[in-house]
Amino acid sequence: MNRIIDFAIKNRLLILVLGIIIMAAGYLSYKQLPIDAFPDVSPSLVQVFTVTEGLAPEEVEKYVTYPIEVTMNGLPNLETIRSVSNFGLSVVNIYFEDGTDIYFARQLVNERLTEAREQIPEGFGDPQMGPISTGMGLVLFYYLDDTTGKYSLEELRTIQDWLIKYQLQTVPGVTEVLGIGGYEKQFQVAVDPNALLRYDVTINEIVEKIKANNLNVGAQFIEKDAEEFVVRSVGLTQKIEDIENIIIKAEDGIPIYLSQLAEVEIGGAIRRGVQTRNGIGEVISGMVVKLYGTNSSTVIGAVEKKLAELNKILPEGIRIVPYYEQKSLVESAVTTVTDALWQGIILVVIILMVFMGSLRPSIVVALSIPFAILFAFIGMSYFNISINLMSFGGLAIAIGMMVDATIVLVENVDRLKRESSKEENFIHIIAVASKEVIRPITFAIVIIIAVFIPLFTLQGVEGKTFSPLAYTIALAMLGSLIFAILIAPVLSSYLMKRTKRELKKSKEQKELWIVVQLQKFYEPLVRFFVRRRITAIVLASVILLFGIIIFPQLGSEFTPTLQEGTIVMRMSMAPSISLTESTRLTLIAERRLMKIQEVAGAVTRIGRGEVGAHTDPINSAEMYILLKPKDQWRQDMSQTELEEIIREEFGEIPGALVNFTQPIQMTVDELLEGVRAELAIKLFGGDLEVLKNEAEKIASVIRTVKGAEDVQVDQVTGAPQLKIMVDRHNIARYGINVEDVQQVIRTAVGGETSGQIFEEIRRFDILVRFTPEARLTASAIGEILIKAPDGTNVPLSQLAEIEEVIGPRQITRENNQRFITIQANVVGRDIGSFVEEGQQLIESSVKLPPGYLVTWGGQFRLQQEANARFAVVIPITLLLIFLLLFFNFRSVKNSLLILLNIPLALVGGVAALWISGQNLSVPSSVGFIALFGIALENGMILVTYFNQLMKEGLKVDEASVKGALLRVRPVLMTALTTALGLIPLLFAAGTGSEVQRPLATVVIGGLFTSTILTLLVLPALYKWFSIKYESGAM
Amino acid sequence: MNLIGKFLIGAIFFFSVGCSDDQNNDAVETEEHHETEEHSEAIKISDEVMKEFGIEVKEAGPGVIKSHIDLTGEIIAEPSRISHIIPRFNGIVKEVYKTVGDKVSKGETLAIIESNESLAPYEVQSLIDGTIIEMHMTQGELIGNEAHAFTIADLNKVWANFNIYQKDLGKIKVGQRASVSVGSMDIEETGTISYVSPIVDEKTRTATARVILNNQTGKWLPGMFITANVYVSEKKYPVVVEKTALQTLEEQVVVFVKDEDGGFRPQAVKTGNENNDNIEILSGLNAGDQYVSKNSFILKAEILKESFGGDHGH
Repeated sequence: MNRIIDFAIKNRLLILVLGIIIMAAGYLSYKQLPIDAFPDVSPSLVQVFTVTEGLAPEEVEKYVTYPIEVTMNGLPNLETIRSVSNFGLSVVNIYFEDGTDIYFARQLVNERLTEAREQIPEGFGDPQMGPISTGMGLVLFYYLDDTTGKYSLEELRTIQDWLIKYQLQTVPGVTEVLGIGGYEKQFQVAVDPNALLRYDVTINEIVEKIKANNLNVGAQFIEKDAEEFVVRSVGLTQKIEDIENIIIKAEDGIPIYLSQLAEVEIGGAIRRGVQTRNGIGEVISGMVVKLYGTNSSTVIGAVEKKLAELNKILPEGIRIVPYYEQKSLVESAVTTVTDALWQGIILVVIILMVFMGSLRPSIVVALSIPFAILFAFIGMSYFNISINLMSFGGLAIAIGMMVDATIVLVENVDRLKRESSKEENFIHIIAVASKEVIRPITFAIVIIIAVFIPLFTLQGVEGKTFSPLAYTIALAMLGSLIFAILIAPVLSSYLMKRTKRELKKSKEQKELWIVVQLQKFYEPLVRFFVRRRITAIVLASVILLFGIIIFPQLGSEFTPTLQEGTIVMRMSMAPSISLTESTRLTLIAERRLMKIQEVAGAVTRIGRGEVGAHTDPINSAEMYILLKPKDQWRQDMSQTELEEIIREEFGEIPGALVNFTQPIQMTVDELLEGVRAELAIKLFGGDLEVLKNEAEKIASVIRTVKGAEDVQVDQVTGAPQLKIMVDRHNIARYGINVEDVQQVIRTAVGGETSGQIFEEIRRFDILVRFTPEARLTASAIGEILIKAPDGTNVPLSQLAEIEEVIGPRQITRENNQRFITIQANVVGRDIGSFVEEGQQLIESSVKLPPGYLVTWGGQFRLQQEANARFAVVIPITLLLIFLLLFFNFRSVKNSLLILLNIPLALVGGVAALWISGQNLSVPSSVGFIALFGIALENGMILVTYFNQLMKEGLKVDEASVKGALLRVRPVLMTALTTALGLIPLLFAAGTGSEVQRPLATVVIGGLFTSTILTLLVLPALYKWFSIKYESGAM
Repeated sequence: MNLIGKFLIGAIFFFSVGCSDDQNNDAVETEEHHETEEHSEAIKISDEVMKEFGIEVKEAGPGVIKSHIDLTGEIIAEPSRISHIIPRFNGIVKEVYKTVGDKVSKGETLAIIESNESLAPYEVQSLIDGTIIEMHMTQGELIGNEAHAFTIADLNKVWANFNIYQKDLGKIKVGQRASVSVGSMDIEETGTISYVSPIVDEKTRTATARVILNNQTGKWLPGMFITANVYVSEKKYPVVVEKTALQTLEEQVVVFVKDEDGGFRPQAVKTGNENNDNIEILSGLNAGDQYVSKNSFILKAEILKESFGGDHGH
């Protein structure tokens, strides 16, 4: 290691250039790093959507979901397949192992999809993969503001679908633009069933005839003289009259036109989603989906520019108004951290100035910050970590720690310089000073990096949230180490040269005033403790005891939710609700919101629009609450407080559940689709009815187990159906096939697309179905006539049983099997024993039919897994740290003495949480981890020096006191820089600060106690842990 | 080593609490839902909210329910008012005086034919007052005595024949009122069913109902395609409610009833006859009860509220 120093000092220029190259590379990486608000916690997931117009969940599952699931089995890296078969929509979520390349996964899925497509019956929909995006991908929402009020909803939707959408999709980084609201334009042919009877025509003949009269063909070319003429026949229908004049049949030469059988008009397509605004009415809206891996802020910027251009070319009076942008979130998250970063840097530099007493060494130390940060950027681009709240936050946390290594080195150089005589070569002093500390510095930094190992093993959402932080801290620390051992000695040689004045000063005068004062104050203290070791032990025990007492009083909470700054109110209505009714309720709710002072507007999405981002059913409404600027609020409030006020003033909506969420949180939750309860018992099996009954039985058994709370069975049913069951005997009598009946039902009631009409490149479906009066009621459907082969007409109700039943809302499947979930929370007892008891009870009292299977999962399982992992990882990490310490000191005793720092550091962290009224949470746990490393570092600096002094022949007591006195400056400096570097995070109030604060609190508190320990207790205890010196440990 | 052990336990504890808290949050949330679970509790809604959501209350009471069946059919000329004119002797048609659509009176000469046997001309005369609806005769033609030369119908009265599908057979009876109309045209008339065929056609499997229509104005043309609303029942019932009041709750048909303290309770009912708007209540509801007639769905949803919480979209 000494050789590294020698090398650096010999090749000073080379090292300098190398340093500049690394920093330049870091800057370039920084420019290319994607910027997001939060780390993307979306799972590696490929979604396959299939729109199957008009099909009930059972059919969707059977004909669409199942074939897709089956073909996806056995893909590499596959984790789980979950599917939801809803009315008219099949969603298959294919989860891959974390870290699987999304393009690779999509390619795999796409290959299998071609196979799946073959197995899905014709006309049952075409499976498509969702956009290449993640839960963070919905970057901008807008609505169309029609100030003229003269455009119909169809016209506006046409503008959205055929003008805005295609323009926006050309913006780089935009993968999809999804429209919702209004109606997609359609040419509707409303057939009068009586007219069918009159002219003896069937509805399917009409469908065929329209198809057969709507074509353009090409017929190669003819040669005329020397020229070629392309032959084309034009027969496309272009307008309503064209459709009306289609001849359906001719009787004795008298043509029967479609207009005699049906009304043709422009109307809106069937829709599964509505967008409303401000309680006034419907609007048309669009969602911009960002391509996976692109830079959010760049994409949003480009989209905004495009929107401005589009606003100019839109018809007069129509404007695109964005109502949600992730940009503001990204900006504020990055600003929060950047501010903290700058403030931290300034505070650190001030500390350096105060303790070093001159600018030049401070510059050397301060330079380690940009170097380490830029070095971290190189690493981030290597590991594909985006700039976001957590990764940037890691840098902010590490500011104080980045300088530690260099502080120790520079301080030692500074000290030796002051002690040195004029004759000594300055370069030589640096080499000696550096060699003295390089070993403990390196070990200390390696240990700090090592303590973050457990964080890398976090899984799931927490893992994805906190691993960027762990990565950037580790990278920055590595950078700071490189700086300290290579660049800092070189820089010191350039920047810290002895001035002439300095050379003249006597040794006494060379000492800095503040250091002298500090030592004056500290010396009696340390002497006291070294003399009366018992007091030191008592002090340590008191602190420890204090920690043990207050620890149980700490509350605990989950990771504090990242505040996105946008409030979304989610309304869940009854599953059987109609879209008309849910729209009505939503408008009422919006009007209520508008009455609240702080609310400027509300834009709501009900159900789903174009498939790709949302799969919500029509009973779910998401209201984006647009807030007035803060100065118009009644008082200064946080988002949570405001939510409380809104909740209070909003009141209850009868028949609807209301809860608050945030856009990204909501999307991610949906993608994770996990059960949030502690315990989730999944019952797998084939028959929905059996599943439901058995699940009820299990639930009632579980309810009897002590500690069970909130036991709930998933409501899988509740969607009313009009079930038409064809009676095979009856149709046999007339010689009709089941399909003949179903074909008529499908076309007459649901409608059948019979080609398209082109308007320039825009295309609109021609939909054939019965007139509303002939299909809108159950009795009307019963009257639909089916034509038998012999020409007889038979009403449907004579051929089939028509009844209203309650059908499934949706069918959920996991790994190719239907399942139903029973959720429960466990209160007041150990969950492990609860599960055991529950399993035994169910085993004995619920007799499941063959083929039915129960699995026990939920959060508790994840927790158990995490604990099991930690039970392995933490001891290994500790062992690793111990080994590192041991390699450094070659002494078990010394190593143990340093490990002793940890509990006392913990106490400080616990106390800080307690005093500031915060809870134990994942971020505070991360703080504790960081604390371990920092606490060890200080101990190492001190103990190393004690050993050195011992080696020089001093007595144990003398070595303890002298060592402590000499090292009080670096110890205090490193502790103070680390703590002060975190102060801005402690007081930051911007977006994302709620995650950083607990972390900063813990570290600052812990540093406080661990510094006391290092400075007072450690010298006292050193005697018992010291090595008998003859053989050198250094 | 003891210290390390302690530290280990501490560290694991930090993580386990770190991970476990979200359940606590959830526990609180679901507890809230729990409170609304009681089904038997009456739902209280302020007048203001009722107005906001359009929930209307009406009094259940006696009412008349008319129900009808829609039939399709066609206009035909009354068979008893049709006469077929057949020339008595074969011969050559000499003169034709009338053509299709002409009104003729009884005894009026329609054509003159020269008999092949006697070579003497004879007159073909109309047998009834009516309109010529068919004619197979041109001048100079040799006409035989087997084909009818003229069909004359008296269209002052026509028959409207309707097809009754098997499912409706029992409901259509002689004497019921029927409103007969021609789809798109503005022609409508009410008549009485005068006949229901005692047999079902073997081919079409339909029976026939008949309404005799007056046709002095000639608006009903034989061959016209017509529809009829047959009023099959019109009865007064002691308790009738609007159909929009009915909701299905836990596989039972219920009506929401307002009790004395202004709360709403679901009341299971048995229903009887119905038409498009109203329905008879056989049991479960008394005349004079206050029931929710409009937007009762919101009340049903309120009861079901706890069951649809917690799940995410899809």
